[in-house]
Amino acid sequence: MSLYSVAVKLKIPDNEAYTALTALRRLGVNVARLERAVVWQFEDAADPVARIERSETLYNPNKHELEVLEQNGPRAGEAWIEELGAREERGMRRYIAWRLFADAHAPADDATVRAAVERLLCNPAIERAIT
Amino acid sequence: MASPKVAVLVFPGTNSEVETWRICRDVGLDSDVVHWSRAQTLPDYDAYVLPGGFAYEDRIRAGAVPAHDPMMDYVIEAAQGGKLVLGICNGAQIVLEAGLVPGTGPVRKPTAAFTKNGPVPHFVCKHVYLKLAVDPGRCAITAALERDAVIPAWAAHGEGRLAATTDHLQEIVDGGHLAFVYAHADGTVDERATPNASALFCAGLTNKAGNVLAIMPHPERDAWNFNHPRRREGTDILAPSGGVKLFSAFAKALKS
Repeated sequence: MSLYSVAVKLKIPDNEAYTALTALRRLGVNVARLERAVVWQFEDAADPVARIERSETLYNPNKHELEVLEQNGPRAGEAWIEELGAREERGMRRYIAWRLFADAHAPADDATVRAAVERLLCNPAIERAIT
Repeated sequence: MASPKVAVLVFPGTNSEVETWRICRDVGLDSDVVHWSRAQTLPDYDAYVLPGGFAYEDRIRAGAVPAHDPMMDYVIEAAQGGKLVLGICNGAQIVLEAGLVPGTGPVRKPTAAFTKNGPVPHFVCKHVYLKLAVDPGRCAITAALERDAVIPAWAAHGEGRLAATTDHLQEIVDGGHLAFVYAHADGTVDERATPNASALFCAGLTNKAGNVLAIMPHPERDAWNFNHPRRREGTDILAPSGGVKLFSAFAKALKS
């Protein structure tokens, strides 16, 4: 069985990511840039992109762009947040991916990602962070 | 003695500050609406009410960003110093994210959350009843209520279900933090009275010291005769059996 992870990102300005960025800076977490995406993970699909594109509630071509991720887990500088006990939606697991950058292109180091997760991005009472 | 002053806090996205300020005024409290740009005035107040809304658009999680707003620096310090703090709906979510209730962990390290409603994660707008689940004196804000008091209110939230790990839920029970549960009008407690599948039927939490109360439903939306389901109850503009009971108790606590 193949596992696919498809990231749905805003191609318009992401206000939520900007709020998270400014909040993290206020908390002393040194982040230059922050990207946010919803990652849908599922098994066995003939065309993983089409599976997301078909759903108008998950994907709006006017404001979203899709990316099939090369790995089924967080990349460098990234944390995936999963809601504990969340039901699968249409046979897919849902994560919020926060990707932190130390400068314009370089991913943030692990310690920075952990600090961001612990201080703001994850409430361990209801969420699980994968880094 | 000067009348105690109450600050009704407004974060960007708060939307229930006017009715909250009005009910504070109508129970005789000297209250002001304080916007985030005037955070430095907060030490002048004797108590704080965090009203409902969608502070910072609920970005990241409901209450997560406002819990780190500079206004909350003052509120957390004041709560630790014993001042009264009442969080309603989104205000309750903020108080939880700030770690003030149940207060079983460090500040701003939440051990519970009011999160997506269950069993279906839909927004709920429903008339409900809150039943006092602790000895009235356990929480300063409820001290003037009678034992097992039942207070009508409106639930209006998409994220009001108490969720925590089994250990933390046990801490909530053992520590007497479960201040209010959902109930029927006659005070019986069960799943049908609970609109959101909240753990422990929880509608409100208090902290160890009992000076902070976080409730999800809105008693201020059932306080006056014009928004009380049993309209024209008495001749006063306030409905005596309505949500005003909680705010009257809050006022008594502040003036005692």
